[in-house]
Amino acid sequence: MTGYYKKWFYPLVLPALILFAMVILIPFLLGILYSFTGWRGTYFAGGGEWYESFVGLQNYVKAFKNPKFMSSLWYTLRYTVVAVIAINAAGLALGLMVTGISKGSGAYRTIFFMPNLLGGLALGYIWQIIFNSLYTDLLFGPNGIFPVDFFSYMLQDQTKALFALVIMMVWQTAGYMMIVYVTGLNNIPGDLYEAAQIDGTTLWQRFKNITLPMLMPSITICVFLTLANSFKLLDQNIALTNGDFNTRMLAMQILRTTKDTTPPDYGLAQAQAVIFFIMIAIITLTQVTVTKKQEVEL
Amino acid sequence: MEQKAQATTRRFHGSKVVLYIVLTLLAAYTLAPLYFLLVNSFKSQSEIVRNPLSLPSLWDFSYLSNAAEKINFFRSLGITFLITLASLILIVVVSSLAAWIMVRNKTKTSGVIFLFFVSAMLIPFQSIMYPLLNFMDMLGLKNMGGLVIMYGGFGLSMSVFLYHGFIKSVPQGIEEAAVIDGANILQVFFRIVFPLLRSTTVTVIILNGMWIWNDYLLPFLVIGNSSGVKTLTLELYFAKILSGQYGSPWELIFPAVLISILPIVVVFLSLQKYFIKGISEGAVKT
Repeated sequence: MTGYYKKWFYPLVLPALILFAMVILIPFLLGILYSFTGWRGTYFAGGGEWYESFVGLQNYVKAFKNPKFMSSLWYTLRYTVVAVIAINAAGLALGLMVTGISKGSGAYRTIFFMPNLLGGLALGYIWQIIFNSLYTDLLFGPNGIFPVDFFSYMLQDQTKALFALVIMMVWQTAGYMMIVYVTGLNNIPGDLYEAAQIDGTTLWQRFKNITLPMLMPSITICVFLTLANSFKLLDQNIALTNGDFNTRMLAMQILRTTKDTTPPDYGLAQAQAVIFFIMIAIITLTQVTVTKKQEVEL
Repeated sequence: MEQKAQATTRRFHGSKVVLYIVLTLLAAYTLAPLYFLLVNSFKSQSEIVRNPLSLPSLWDFSYLSNAAEKINFFRSLGITFLITLASLILIVVVSSLAAWIMVRNKTKTSGVIFLFFVSAMLIPFQSIMYPLLNFMDMLGLKNMGGLVIMYGGFGLSMSVFLYHGFIKSVPQGIEEAAVIDGANILQVFFRIVFPLLRSTTVTVIILNGMWIWNDYLLPFLVIGNSSGVKTLTLELYFAKILSGQYGSPWELIFPAVLISILPIVVVFLSLQKYFIKGISEGAVKT
């Protein structure tokens, strides 16, 4: 049987390898290569072939000196910190609440999950109107019911728009994280809580000393998912503010770099893309290593 | 002692009521934007501005049919459906086959290949999109077929990983029996192994289907505005851009968004148990 499987190994793995090479591996390597050239998308500046167009580290230097890139980098980092905390806190809270009841729990889960189905673009358009019409005109604007400066004209200020994006993303994705947390919560053996209850512990003590440590595997996953998704956020960013008022995040910056100049500077865009990849790899791998260490074995 | 227990139970019930109230408020908050979307899809621009929260004074379907026309609803729905379906079939067949043979043929090469697939999960789309598009263009694949191939490539990593994890627990005894009975390798896989992988296949379909259906960036880069054949999300994007040029954009945006999200909401409501299961299983394994 081993020989049989061995004989068929390459024929069966080949389609996957071809797809992988075509879509991921070759473009990935080409991308690194092109980031060191004067690539213009359809041609190479200063020569016919890529090797005649080498510019060394120039694109990388240009990227770090580009105020738009640096601004989008800081904006993305700030957004990611706030969003990861807010989405996970909301997701965990929802998870604790829906596991705390028995009747109707499924219906609540369905409702909370629903916003995840919708595309970021479609949602962004609706929330854009919500922030303009409901938040500003009706509720929190100067003529609203409870004027609160922070919640009015949220899409016209860099910092306020960051929180507008967080409000929308919590609304959309907390239900997804809730599902992952519910799976984790259901895996915690009930007798741990019973034993702790007999010992006369408070609810907070049980949460801190049983729930949190036992939930670390789910926390690892959810923080990983929210971290990666926040860092890569694009559709919602485009739909909500389209990068106006310096609200461009990294993904949009890479996409729009080729529209910022004529001729389009694909070399610079690709250098930013490589930096983007390295940062995501470092951040997510560090996070998984750190949170994995907190996981307890029973 | 008994008294104390009773007090605890009572407090417990009290907190349950609070819990239901809080959950119901949060559910209302979650549904509010969808209500907002629904009621405003039947109003004129001026009515939306005047009464954004009330029910429409008249359930006028003309805004919906106008939006359906603007985003070529039935054509773009069909295109989105075909692209999603073809991509999912490609992902499921290619990744389950590869994962199966990698588990069954445990060699160093197979381990290295698996590692390659898994580490590719770290590569964000934006970091390779320009060279990818350039390369696909060179191959003559900057079209719908190429779009399916690209979704196939991007869906591969996670799917191979999920199948690989599950197949490890599938016993190989029946496969041997089938080979002895004279079944060929594809028969062994598709008649015997593949049906056993159903729960992972559901997860793979849900996780990949959700992003392929809603994806904006890849169709934007591949199809753009040049061709008449666009996906739902792409039609919505261009409708929104154009709507700024008319005087009354909201009476188009609301109904356009509503009809564009309707299909996936219907699919979800009829298959929700699979969605929830798919997501929790997908997350546990990653």
